[in-house]
Amino acid sequence: MIRQSTLKRSFSTTPQLYNKKFRPLAEYPLMCGLEIHSQLKTPHKLFSLSETSFHEDPNTKISYFDAALPGTQPTLNPEALLLALRAAVALGSSVNLDSTFDRKHYFYGDQPMGYQITQHYNPYAKGGSVKLWKRDGISEDEKTIRIEQIQLEQDTGKSVYVETEGESYSKIDLNRTNVPLIEMVTKPDFTHPDEVKVFIKKFQNLLRYMDICSGDLETGAMRVDVNVSIRGGERVELKNLSTTSAVISAIKYEYKRQIGLVEKGEAVVQETRGWDGKKTVRLRTKEDALDYRYMPDPELPPMLLSDEIVGQLKAEMPQTPDQVLESLLSTPYNLSLKDATILTYNLDLLMYYRMLFDVSVNAHGIDPRTPGNWLIHELLGTFSRNDLPFDPGYIPLVSLINLMKAVQDDFISNYSAKLLLQHLFNNKEETMRDLREVIEDYGLRKLTDAEVSSEELTAVCNKIIGEQQNTVKSIKKGKVNGLNFLVGQAMRATQGTIDANVFETEFKQLLDVE
Amino acid sequence: MALEKARSLARLNIFTSLASEISQSLTPIAIKDNIATKLLPTTCSSYALSNYISPFQATVIDLLEDEFTVVGKTNMDEFGMGASTTFSHYGPTLNPMYPNERRICGGSSGGSAAAVAAGIVPVALGTDTGGSVRQPASYTGILGFKPTYGRISRWGVVAYAQSLDTVGILGKDVDIIEKVFTKLDKHDPKDPTSLGVELRSRFDSKHGNNKKLRIGVPEEYVLGFDPKVSKAWQQCLEALSQDHEIVPVSVPLIKKTLAMYFTLAPAEASSNLGRYDGIRYGTRSDSDKDYYAKTRSEGFGEEVKRRIILGNYNLSSDSYKNHFLKAKLLRRALKQQFDEVFNQPNYVTGSDPNANGVDFLLTPTTVGQAPTIEDYDAQSSTHGYTQDVLTIPASLAGIPAISFPWEVEGAKIGLQLMGQCGDDYNLLRITQETMSLNT
Repeated sequence: MIRQSTLKRSFSTTPQLYNKKFRPLAEYPLMCGLEIHSQLKTPHKLFSLSETSFHEDPNTKISYFDAALPGTQPTLNPEALLLALRAAVALGSSVNLDSTFDRKHYFYGDQPMGYQITQHYNPYAKGGSVKLWKRDGISEDEKTIRIEQIQLEQDTGKSVYVETEGESYSKIDLNRTNVPLIEMVTKPDFTHPDEVKVFIKKFQNLLRYMDICSGDLETGAMRVDVNVSIRGGERVELKNLSTTSAVISAIKYEYKRQIGLVEKGEAVVQETRGWDGKKTVRLRTKEDALDYRYMPDPELPPMLLSDEIVGQLKAEMPQTPDQVLESLLSTPYNLSLKDATILTYNLDLLMYYRMLFDVSVNAHGIDPRTPGNWLIHELLGTFSRNDLPFDPGYIPLVSLINLMKAVQDDFISNYSAKLLLQHLFNNKEETMRDLREVIEDYGLRKLTDAEVSSEELTAVCNKIIGEQQNTVKSIKKGKVNGLNFLVGQAMRATQGTIDANVFETEFKQLLDVE
Repeated sequence: MALEKARSLARLNIFTSLASEISQSLTPIAIKDNIATKLLPTTCSSYALSNYISPFQATVIDLLEDEFTVVGKTNMDEFGMGASTTFSHYGPTLNPMYPNERRICGGSSGGSAAAVAAGIVPVALGTDTGGSVRQPASYTGILGFKPTYGRISRWGVVAYAQSLDTVGILGKDVDIIEKVFTKLDKHDPKDPTSLGVELRSRFDSKHGNNKKLRIGVPEEYVLGFDPKVSKAWQQCLEALSQDHEIVPVSVPLIKKTLAMYFTLAPAEASSNLGRYDGIRYGTRSDSDKDYYAKTRSEGFGEEVKRRIILGNYNLSSDSYKNHFLKAKLLRRALKQQFDEVFNQPNYVTGSDPNANGVDFLLTPTTVGQAPTIEDYDAQSSTHGYTQDVLTIPASLAGIPAISFPWEVEGAKIGLQLMGQCGDDYNLLRITQETMSLNT
């Protein structure tokens, strides 16, 4: 009875529950592996010279070979090979200098040849790893996810299912046919969904850095399949997961489903399951699994590579995201982990930051902490508040530098400068003008002591004291922090044109506190 | 002339389609119907492609156009699978050598062989995967040349088994074959198996100043032949021995070549024919809206279906290692054994020559003469498979081979000369010389 009720619970749980803190049970260790397909950013397809394109009219970007016309043959496009090799080098895989292509056979309407050209028996790269760190968001200090192999292969076409009254059929678009992909397969090293989440994020970012793949799951440029098993049981493959959150939810659901089966005394069967948004659903079991009848391609020659290629690619390799993060955390940048992470995951922002830092700190002697604060907290914050993605061309670098310099020179207070940035953001054309002129025009220039009339000063402060009686009371009771609040109010009232210290002294005097 | 003759010989069923007109200033040529042409359909003698017109044409057609005019597309065994030109959606082609009988003309390039033998064209293109040019040439009393694998472009040639498929030339004499070969002997970047320019520059090296050649006779070829075949082979060897040395040689793996071939070729075929689903082109069953099993069942003939099933079996995960992979390894070993027999280097495999080896090999092309359609049909399908036993070794090894007629007692018997990879022009020369000894 008790057992049954436990089971009932595990099956009736809504998916929302899985979004709560997830803890794998010690008696059922989770084992997870990933297969990630990434479309390579090449101008042309893998074995033909038709263009790769993703928003063109259906069936407009196809060659005779892509449509599998009789008598056509594949010719390897070296652009794809170069990107694939770059991925292998970035992942620390060992490159196979003599890899071969195989045909994987299955019938599908959007698979025009009846087979996909892939690398089953002898892939171009094996081994390698991705390191995950605590700072990336996993619970362990560090974790290595090992890579089994990477293969170069063709994408398939697309089927579009149409259902009209009384009729249903598929439309086939071959534009995606023969677009180059790399398929990266990891060992089953993941023991927690958080690790999967972090891995996907890091892998996407790495490929973006190397300019290999756009890394977008939403557009299908990157596709993730997952293998899930518990306690050495049979593997279940999860497919059709279109977002990272779908991947994570599916793993969590599948983990609980498998435990439910084992606790009921049933075996987990080897099968392929999909994700319907709430639960995993059977697509096919091992019994009806396809025999792909892999065959070495009889007409494609092996990809023979010179042994110098790996060294050459290593030498040309840009910094990895991990290296970038390290550098941002250390001198001269000394950014916080949070800010450094934000920059590491946004290449446009990172480039903007580096230029900003270089010019403002190195050329104008601005405090090294300032560029990060202004860019991430002020400018990026403004973009976010306006629900816009960061655009490096929106506020010219020179405007932001002049603004920081004006603050540094005490020409404008920090407070007024922030106001001005909002103004510039909303009135882009003002960025074309001389910044100090703009500051003068809007009366935002910091006033010198001589310019501040003491009567006015006293009047402003008294007005605030009158409005903020509660704070005044607490200050008088000894909570001196309240002073900062009053100063803030005063700054706001005077648009930051008067120095905070001047207000502080005035308040102290008026309230008679030390 | 050629067109009128072709029309008058319609009863032989040589062509699947004829040109409406041809240029009078160019030499007429017939093209096997698995080579893509833009003006005429390319059906591969299959119902699956019975209405198919290619939007592009094969490289070989591009190369010939300035001197040759295509008379028509010739009948064949469907997709090249067969040795009789009876496995055709368009019915069998009859052998012109026997005007009063219904005999097969061999295959799969039977239509091309018949077009030459009937005197419609002086030369025709075929394809040779296991003997499909040489065997019909032998049965129809003409010459059939299969060059070194990769020397003639396969772009636009519909694949049966690409690791073996070779465009071949059927002709009435060596001169016309050499003329066509010279035009087609070009690197093609569109064909991934086309041999490179640098490699080609090393081909056809001189066989030394000594005109006396060593002609090898592989002992594995000594089989139970039709008496006239044995006689022709013997006569020819005797004639050659006047000026050259005849040497017995052995290529032991030849005995395994039928098994290798019927493991590898159907596997490749089952893969290549996966594309005929009727979705983008070709025949489609009307009732077949969601699937294409019916399209494929109706589109292919029995022989093609047999080979697809056999090929899929050979590639299935249970038999891949035991069948396909073993056959592939044996094929590599066979190439080595051939390399050890020749006194010429193999520039394709990189093997050194055997100083004591031979220049060429001489064997019969077929075990007998063309059977009647009745007799042929009465035999089992596996008997048909053995018809290529003498031609398959050169296909697996990728070496050039030619079948030429040797007249004995009023019958034209096909004999086969084989040479080292890349030795094609020398092979044509020795063929010319050998044929001149047939007096």
